[in-house]
Amino acid sequence: MAAAQPFAYAQDKLTFLLALVPYLIDVGRVSVAEAAGHFQVSEKQIRDAVSLIAVSGIPGETMQYQHGDLFDISWDDFDERDEIVITHQVALDDSPRFSAREAAALIAGLQYLQSLPENVDQGVYSSLMDKLARGASESPSQVAVARSDATESLTEVRDALARGRQVEFDYLSSRGSQERRRVDPLRIDSDDENWYLRAWDHAREAVRTFRLDRMTGIAVSDEPVSSSHADVPLGDTLFQGGDDDLTVTIELDPTAVSLLGEFVSNSELQPDAVAGDSGRVRARIRVAHIHGLKRLVTARPGAVTIVDPPEARAEVVRWAEDALARYAG
Amino acid sequence: MPTPSRKQSPPAVPVEERLFSLVLALLATDAGLTKNEILSTVQGYRQRYAVRGDNASLERQFERDKDDIRELGVPLETIEDPADVGNNQALRYRIPRGAYELPADIAFSAEETTLLNLAAMAWREGSLSRESRRALLKLRSIGAETSDPVLGYAPRIRTRDAAFDPLSDALDKHVTASFSYLKPGEPAARLRTVEPLALVQHQGRWHLKAIDQRVGEPRTFLLARIVGPVRLGRTPLEVPPGNHAELALAELEEIWQQNVAELEVVPGTDAAVRLSRRRGARVEGDDRVLVHFTDLALLADELAGFGPEVRVLGPDALVDAVIARLRAAVAAHAGAEAS
Repeated sequence: MAAAQPFAYAQDKLTFLLALVPYLIDVGRVSVAEAAGHFQVSEKQIRDAVSLIAVSGIPGETMQYQHGDLFDISWDDFDERDEIVITHQVALDDSPRFSAREAAALIAGLQYLQSLPENVDQGVYSSLMDKLARGASESPSQVAVARSDATESLTEVRDALARGRQVEFDYLSSRGSQERRRVDPLRIDSDDENWYLRAWDHAREAVRTFRLDRMTGIAVSDEPVSSSHADVPLGDTLFQGGDDDLTVTIELDPTAVSLLGEFVSNSELQPDAVAGDSGRVRARIRVAHIHGLKRLVTARPGAVTIVDPPEARAEVVRWAEDALARYAG
Repeated sequence: MPTPSRKQSPPAVPVEERLFSLVLALLATDAGLTKNEILSTVQGYRQRYAVRGDNASLERQFERDKDDIRELGVPLETIEDPADVGNNQALRYRIPRGAYELPADIAFSAEETTLLNLAAMAWREGSLSRESRRALLKLRSIGAETSDPVLGYAPRIRTRDAAFDPLSDALDKHVTASFSYLKPGEPAARLRTVEPLALVQHQGRWHLKAIDQRVGEPRTFLLARIVGPVRLGRTPLEVPPGNHAELALAELEEIWQQNVAELEVVPGTDAAVRLSRRRGARVEGDDRVLVHFTDLALLADELAGFGPEVRVLGPDALVDAVIARLRAAVAAHAGAEAS
């Protein structure tokens, strides 16, 4: 979630104003820094908003926005001490309700999280969803997410992460090789129904991403994790390319770009040409090896094909023919 | 900076200032304000109001602003003058406090706030990421402490289907949605016009539950099979009451329960490890796995990807679908160069 990013839309700026005023009234006096921390916005966003609130109000009886019809703040505190004190308020004192969609977004998010192996009573979830529904100005939109399936590995890995312990497991790479790995767990990521562990791999001395459903024989050790890489930045992209990557030219249906999720993020994908009048685009992507991509291409031959190099094409043919041979006779 | 001369047009009032002033003015009035009163007195409108002129564009601005404000959950009401029914100019607008303000008894504990932060974090793309960010602002407005995000989790719900945002709009505005839908096994996409009931994600896929106007009955559509743009209708529909989302999920779950694929896997391979660890998978011996599924074509895609690591034993339609994909993969990659 992006913190301290300025709001791009007037609707979001308005929501911020409507949320900020009741908070300021309620706390009485607060520093700009503290308010920024509370709302997870920049100090400039707070100052801009307060400056706007201080000159806003209602037309009033004279319809002229007279002094008493406007909010007022203690300008000395604001200008000299960077503190906010509302000294006169109009029209607004309480926090707004959630919209139908805002409530629905949080409720669906909670449904998704319900399978996390946290010590959260299921009653907490239902009471929360009920509060969100009551706090919305209309009944929440009909959006729902089935709880995601937590595998047993999730519980074990979560335990290691929470206690700061190293963990060992057998991991089957998409290349098909099995290897015992020892890692310092850093974070558990999910992507819809898929779960991943981001961890510092001791043998490779680098951060790696592991699919939880490819791990077996998990053992949480008594060894504490090293603190030296606790601050390794973990981006949103699950898989990063290495130096020894293979460059593959693919041709794909533009609507199928999301299929490449594990291989390349949308922003990295540079379609360089349209292939004839098929509406398909060509793109070059970098992969660590062909094995993951060959599985994808065999799964969706109508959506993605490999154009180059020829060895990669041959690899797909071999993979599919070996599979077909199992159905022969 | 020199002060601009008075002859110049007044500096433009920022949009958020106009919207904020409108909300304040409508909250402060019990009797309501007429459109004319609003346009001539409220900050952001009054600067552009022509006393004896044509205010058509300002009126259109006001209409859009009303929609924008309502979308945020602000209950902007219209009151008709009983003595002057049907006269648009006599309509009065206001925001009743009771319906605007969060009920006073709603508060969130630190544990609850932590969960809500995590729930909001799951939406990192599409329109719902904006909605959840706004919800968090409102949550913080009532002073709910922002505890650290639950250490160690980065959940994410995808809304990659291009149809998601327009369909959630249609769902919210209670209008019809029209789109081309490509059903597996059909040669071409067909245009559907539907009345949306719910958007649900099951097994990582977004589905739309909607009344198909052609048959007059509810149907479930996979968003991934919607081709091209979604067009929204204009007239608000009467949506039948009920918890459609919960119902749609329950139906999908039932289909998932009923459908079982029988697979033979090569022990120790990716297919064996991953397929046998799915929810509800049943392992028999060291090479048989029974898995549930909702959609045969999607499962066939996935199984074809496992190549020789898996052989489908049944149902027959799934065997055929996997073989067809494998043949297509061979055909598309045979020869040194693509055409």
